This record gives sequence, structure tokens and C-alpha cells, in this order.
Amino acid sequence: MSDQVGEEQVRFSKIGDAELVTLAGEIDLANAPAIGQQIVAHMTEAGAVLIDLTAVSFLDSAGVRLLDALVGDLDDHGTAIRLVVGESGPARMTLQLCAFREDLLATDLERAADDVNE
Amino acid sequence: MSEPDVTDDLTVPWDEDPSDLYEHAPCGYLTTLPDGTIVRVNETFLTWTGYRRADLIGQRRFRDLLSSGGQIYHETHYGPLLAMQDAVYEVAFDVMCADGRRLPTLVNSTLGRDLEGRSRVIRTTVFNATERRGYEQELLAARRAAEASEKRVRVLQQIVADLAAAPTEVEVAEAVVQAPGPAFGAAGSRIWLVDSDRELLAVRASTGPDVIALDDVPLSWTRPVAEVAQRGELTVVGSIMVAEQQFPELAEEMWASGRRTVVLLPLTTMPTGGPHAAHVLGVLAFGFNEERELSENELRVVRLLGHQAGQALDRARLYDDARRRESRAAFLAETSRALDEIPRLLPRAHRLVERIVPEVAEWAAVRLHVGPAGLIADAGGPAPDPDRLAERVAAVIASGVPSLRDEDGLDPDCAVLPLTARGKVLGTLSLRMAADRRTSAGEAAFLGELAGRAGLALENARLYEQERAIARTLQRSLLAGQLPADSRFVLQTHYQPATQELEVGGDWYDAFLVDSDRLAVAIGDVVGRGIDAATTMGQLRSAIRALASKETGPAGMLERLDQFVERVESARVATVAYAEISLSSGEMTYACAGHMPPLLAGPVGPPRYLMDGRSAPLGSRAGRTHRIESRIRLLPGSRLLLYTDGLIERRTRTIDRGFGVLAREYGRLRDAPLEGLPAALADTLIGRDHTDDICMLCLAFGTDERMERSIGADPVQIARLRKDLRAWLKLHAVDEESTDAVLLACSEAVANAIEHGYRDDPFGTVNVSATVTPEAVEIRVADRGAWRTARADVARGRGLQLIRQVMDQVAFDRGGGTTVTMRRTRREAR
Repeated sequence: MSDQVGEEQVRFSKIGDAELVTLAGEIDLANAPAIGQQIVAHMTEAGAVLIDLTAVSFLDSAGVRLLDALVGDLDDHGTAIRLVVGESGPARMTLQLCAFREDLLATDLERAADDVNE
Repeated sequence: MSEPDVTDDLTVPWDEDPSDLYEHAPCGYLTTLPDGTIVRVNETFLTWTGYRRADLIGQRRFRDLLSSGGQIYHETHYGPLLAMQDAVYEVAFDVMCADGRRLPTLVNSTLGRDLEGRSRVIRTTVFNATERRGYEQELLAARRAAEASEKRVRVLQQIVADLAAAPTEVEVAEAVVQAPGPAFGAAGSRIWLVDSDRELLAVRASTGPDVIALDDVPLSWTRPVAEVAQRGELTVVGSIMVAEQQFPELAEEMWASGRRTVVLLPLTTMPTGGPHAAHVLGVLAFGFNEERELSENELRVVRLLGHQAGQALDRARLYDDARRRESRAAFLAETSRALDEIPRLLPRAHRLVERIVPEVAEWAAVRLHVGPAGLIADAGGPAPDPDRLAERVAAVIASGVPSLRDEDGLDPDCAVLPLTARGKVLGTLSLRMAADRRTSAGEAAFLGELAGRAGLALENARLYEQERAIARTLQRSLLAGQLPADSRFVLQTHYQPATQELEVGGDWYDAFLVDSDRLAVAIGDVVGRGIDAATTMGQLRSAIRALASKETGPAGMLERLDQFVERVESARVATVAYAEISLSSGEMTYACAGHMPPLLAGPVGPPRYLMDGRSAPLGSRAGRTHRIESRIRLLPGSRLLLYTDGLIERRTRTIDRGFGVLAREYGRLRDAPLEGLPAALADTLIGRDHTDDICMLCLAFGTDERMERSIGADPVQIARLRKDLRAWLKLHAVDEESTDAVLLACSEAVANAIEHGYRDDPFGTVNVSATVTPEAVEIRVADRGAWRTARADVARGRGLQLIRQVMDQVAFDRGGGTTVTMRRTRREAR
């Protein structure tokens, strides 16, 4: 185990103008900072950002801290952001427990993409 | 005729004139005054000396005619003797002739006195002693020559004695090079020996200032040394002039070194000068600082020296050859033995090159065409030019013929030999030879033999690897089969091959469900190793699976296996422990055929060995093969360990102690998670370096209600803890929501301990224990670090808040660290 973040854990793609970040696996204290760096390094002047957390099997408060910071930054720049978390699952549980704004959370990737691309 | 009257002169028939007699007598006459002034001299003396009468009469004293040495003798001996005795006889004087020649003479003188006894006149006869003196000098010269010759003979005798005691070429050379000094008065000498393999003359020894400033000389050169070696003739270069005509380079060297005469002597096994050129083994050169003519006698001795030295060299070469052959044979034998010790291919190839360097070569490499990438082992250095080497290697692989030379002849810097076995080129052995090793005919044969043996040894290693790989694959495929899984039990297995042993062993295990309620577990050990053992264990395993049924039972199973062994001989005296467990009642029936007793740890109390149900190994002829079985009821939470003898047996420990240690360790790890338990036992009992295979199967019946973990203060470890915890929760059928909640809470608590408790202590440990009941899951996370108020840190505060949100009860205890106890009620109990 190391804090190296594999390709399969963070992937980048595009839906329309929106930058899509697909996260997978467990996000915790050990790898959250590295994942954060990778996302920040990739976010240059994106029109909108979608973070897909449906494949995340575990999310702890370090992951929450990362997402919180990310959302804050993008809000400051006026960039639209959605966190796609599915109907249930570990990510949704943790984010709901941390009382993330409902408008940030989406259950469906395509609908979220339409939302931000409008 | 009357006798002549001898008292009277005979009258000769011709006129005998006394004055003519005086003038032409066969000796010189001188009459001098007492002071030596010549007053009368006869014609004979004048003829001998070349003086005119007028030059001498009244002009010179007798002594003036003598050599300077003679004058001194005249003064000190002749004069006083004559004065004392009035006569002197046979005094040797050299008379200086008018032309400066010396005339050796013998002189008699008488002194005539007057009546008063005063010296009046000296009469002197002078006899020509040239012949006599020459004879004397010859005698003297002969004596000197005899002495010199005797000395030479003595020197030569000493040399011959030294040569006889010199067993090697170098020692012979060192003895021979010492001879010319004492024997002939030479100023310096040097010896070259013929190296026929390299076709050159190699300097072996020298003494005194260099005779000829030359080192190794190719035999084909037109240098004097090489010419002498080719012709086998003694050559004396008597002066620089002669050298200039015959050997201009030599003349220059003679100028430079101050030599005026140089002798070049071939060292031959046969006397030189015969009709056939003798076999030349070397050349001895020696020089003189003066122009020196060597007498016949000396030349004879010189030739004798050459001959003696040649024979000694020949002898030494035979010795050297014999020694070299012997050491090569020893090296080959030792190499074969050393390679045999290492069965695996790559280590064997390394062992080979490590033996070759430095004994035979300065650099050696084995290249084998094995596998997709091939295999290279090399030692020493520097390696030859890679392009040249690659070219050579390719040529040798294509032809299968050694490449020991290039266009210019022998090439000891890049010798390539094929490694062949069973008519196939496996690869190559490349060498850069040591400076003192030669790629001679003998060496080539030796290298050929070496490559031959190496080829066979490496081919055997390759076959061994192949078989080993097959056996490993077979064994792995047999052991890696899917083990049954059920919420009523957990199985954990461990197989650890011996570190020393290279072939696979015959240890095996198996577990399968006989029917929905019956679990069968088995472990066994087949005699022998390698592919046979792997095959046999596969057969036994299949037989057990096929024979197992509700009706058979363990004892019946062993009886049938006995029958099976009658047909599969390689399984004879294999040992087996076999047990069947009813998953509903926990009743276990077991039987051991010569195998180590199973070790059972109940939910309480120390572990114990199950010593019943024992009988002899399968197919045993001497042992008790009446198969019996025994029963025991497993309580939920029991753990049963099946193992092979590798776990117990260690050379430094008796088997009884081994059993004791195993039981104690097993008891100590009673509450440890099942995962990793067998490996931990092997580590404790045997360590990393074990000489036998270890095979273990551990069955946890009615799963553990408690899980404990101890992890280092490293965030990376939390993921692993989560994985174990998730599996354990799943085993206890904890609902998904509660599982996610417990995992999150536990992670946050551990992260808190690491980030805060152990902020200043990277080596701290966090202890986690979990218990499950039908109603709830309880987690306890304890550290021994410092407590910091979490409110200062928003993020950590969020972690603690999460814990409080997802768990039903949370309690903090801060005393010598922090312990968080958390409880979550299961969905079923809500």
C-alpha cells in the first residue's frame, strides 16, 4: 500500500464543456491529499466540473475535506460543480452526514451534465 | 787412426780465423769499461740489435741498452753481484734494439781486475733467448688458459647442478642467465625463451646492464635474436664494425650500451652445428665491454652451455606441461563438482563464471538461449569490445565451433566457445584470457573440455528448471483450488516451500463439502520430492475427493486409500490426517494415518493435540493398518489446526519441544484474526530460513465474535484494517448500512489517533478490537498518544462528529492515551 494514486482511481474526461472527474475505490486520509493534487493540477479554466463518486467504496472525513475545498474554490470562480453520488452508498452517506448542500449532490450523471452545461 | 788429443784444438780443414770467430760467434760479445762504457762489440750483437758499431763504441753503456725494468735490475742485482763475485751468470735482460724491439737475452759477465785488484774490464756474452722466452710465455699462457678453463668448467658444473634442480622454465632461465659473467667475464646477459604458441621469443630473465634493449621478439622478425633462434647457430659479433655489416640494429644497441662484443647463443636440445637445425628453445645473449675474441676452447664451452640449458629447458617444459595438465584436470574435476552443488540454472551459470575468473580468465560470460530474453552471467572485467564479441558469439552459435583466433592469429582477448549438450548449441562461453594463460593448443583442448562440461552441466540445470517449473505449477494448481466457504466456518491455508530445498515437496491439503452439512478437511505428506511427489499428491487428493461420502467416514477412507496405494506405489507410506465435521452439530470424526496429530483450540482453555484415531501411514507393511477413527464435538469458536511436520521439526529442537512450542503459540494467538494466523505460526516456529516445506490448514468453526488488530501509526494501514473489518462484519452477516457506518467510524477513530495522538510519534501503534453480538457491533480504538483538543481542528472535528452521527453510543476515555469505544445497534435489533 502506498499513497500513490493509480490511474484507475482518478480519471478525467469531458462531457460537453464540463470536465468530468471519475473517482473510484476508497478515499481516505492516506490518499485524499494526492487525489486532491491530481484534480487541482487538471482543473484549468473548465467551464463546469462533474465529480462522479458512484464508484467510491469508502469516503472518510479527509475525503470530505478535499471535496469541501474543491467546491469552495470552484464556487469562488463561479464554476458550476456537481457531485454525483447515486441513490445510496458510502459516498452519499458520508456527504449527507456532513450536510453537503443538496443542490451539489446529483444521483444521475447525465442529468447533472445537462444541469451544468446549460 | 789414433784418437784425437782432446787437450789440443783440432785443426779444422778450413782456415779458422779467430777474429772471424769473435765477430760471428753464435753469441754477442761486449767488452766494457768498469762503468759499462762499451769499448768493443762483435758483429753478432750488432746484427741482433740493429745498432751500428759507431753508435755504441765509446757512446753507450751496456745498461743504456736495457729496458727500463732491466736497468733497475742491472742497478740492484747485476752490478753488485758482479762487483762481489767478479762474475754473473744467466741474468735475463731485455735488450732494446735500435728499432725499439725487445730482444730477450741471457747475459753472462766476468770482471777482470789488474794486479792491484782494481776493476779493469768487463767481458759480457749475450745469448739470444727469444725462443726460450717464448717457450716460457707459452707455458705461462697455457697455465693461465688451463686455470681459466678450469674456472669455466667449475662455473659450468655449478650451472649444470643448478639446472638439474630447476623444475620450471623460469628457474632454468634464471640459472642460465647467471653463467656468462663468471664463466667468460661477460658484462651482462639476457635470456629469451621460445613461445611457440605465440610465435615469439619472450624475455624471461636478464642480469647486468641490458645486452640488447629488446623485450619480446616475434620469431619472424629479422632481428639478430630471432635469426639465431631460427638458424640455431651460435653467433659471435666480435665488434661494432662486424655488427654494422650483419645486424645494423644490434650495432646501434652496442653503441648505446657500451658493448663491443656480443654473443648470441641458441639454447638447443641437441649439440649445434649438426646437419639438421636443432630444436631451439631459447636464446642467451651476453656481451663484453671490450672487443673480445673467444678461443676455440671457450666457444666449445659456450656451445656446451647452450646445449645444457636447452636440455634443462626441455625437461622443465615437460614438467611444466605435466603440472599444467594436472592442474587443468584438477580444475575441471573441481568445477564439475562445484556446479553439481547448485542445481538451478542461473546460480549454476554464475558459479561457472566465478570459477573461471580469475583462475583461467580475467573476464568470462555465459550466454544461454533460455526463455524469451536469454540468460547472461558474467564475472571479472573489463569485457571485450561489445561489437567484436557480439559478432563472434553469433558466429559460434551458427557454426558450433570455438572461435579462439582472429585474422591476425590467436586472440586471447576474445575467445568464444560453444556450450553444447546432446548435439545442440545452448549458448556460448566467452572469455578474455588472463595475461599468463595462453590460448595454446593445450589450452584450446582444455577450454574445449571446460566448455563441454559446462554445457552438459548447464543443460542439466535447464532440464531441472523445466521439471521444477512443471512440478511447481502442478502443485500450485492443486493447492490453489477453491476452498469451500460458509457462514458456519472459515478456512485459512498456508503453504511455504523450503528455502533451501529446490524441488517441490509432497505436502498438500484439501477441504471440500461432502454434502451440505459435512465439511471434509485433509492434510498429507507424500514421500519424496519433485514432479513425482507432486503427481502423487494430486492422485491422492483426487482419490480422497472421489471416495468421500456420508457412509465412508474417516476410517473407511483410510482403508480405501490403503487399497489405492497398492495400485499407486509412489503413494506408499504417505501420511494423511482426515476429518469430517458436521456443520450443524459440530461433531467431528477424524483419523490419522501416520500424520501429525491435529491441534484443537476450544473457545476456552489451552489448545490440545488430538491423539486418538491414530494408525500407520498408507500402505505401511510394518505398521498397524487397522484403521480407526475418533469423535469429538467442536464448540462454536473452536479452531482446528492441521499441519505437516515441517512446522514442528527443526534441527535445533526436539520434536517434543516442537509440539510444546506450537501449542503455546497457538494458544497465545487464540484471539488473533484467522487471516495470517498460519503464516504467523510458521514465522514464530521456524523463521524465514527453513529446510522443509510447511503446509497448514486452519478451520475456525462457528466464527469468532471478536476481532483484534494492532496497526502502525500510518494512514496507509487504515485501508487494510477496513478490509479485514469488512470481511469480519460480512462473516457475521452484519447489515450493509451498519457495516458502512462501523467502517466509517472506525476509520475516523484510527485516523484521529494517528493524526493527533501520534502526531509526534511515527512508531506508535493503534489497537483495534471489535466484538459482535446478534444485537450490536462494538468497536474499541485505543492509542497511547497525547490528547489534543479536537475543536482546534475543524477537519478532525468533522471526523469526531461523523463518529457521533453514525454510532449509537460513543465514549472517550483519556488516561495514558485515548480509548474510543463505539457501539452500533444492528438493523435487526433496531
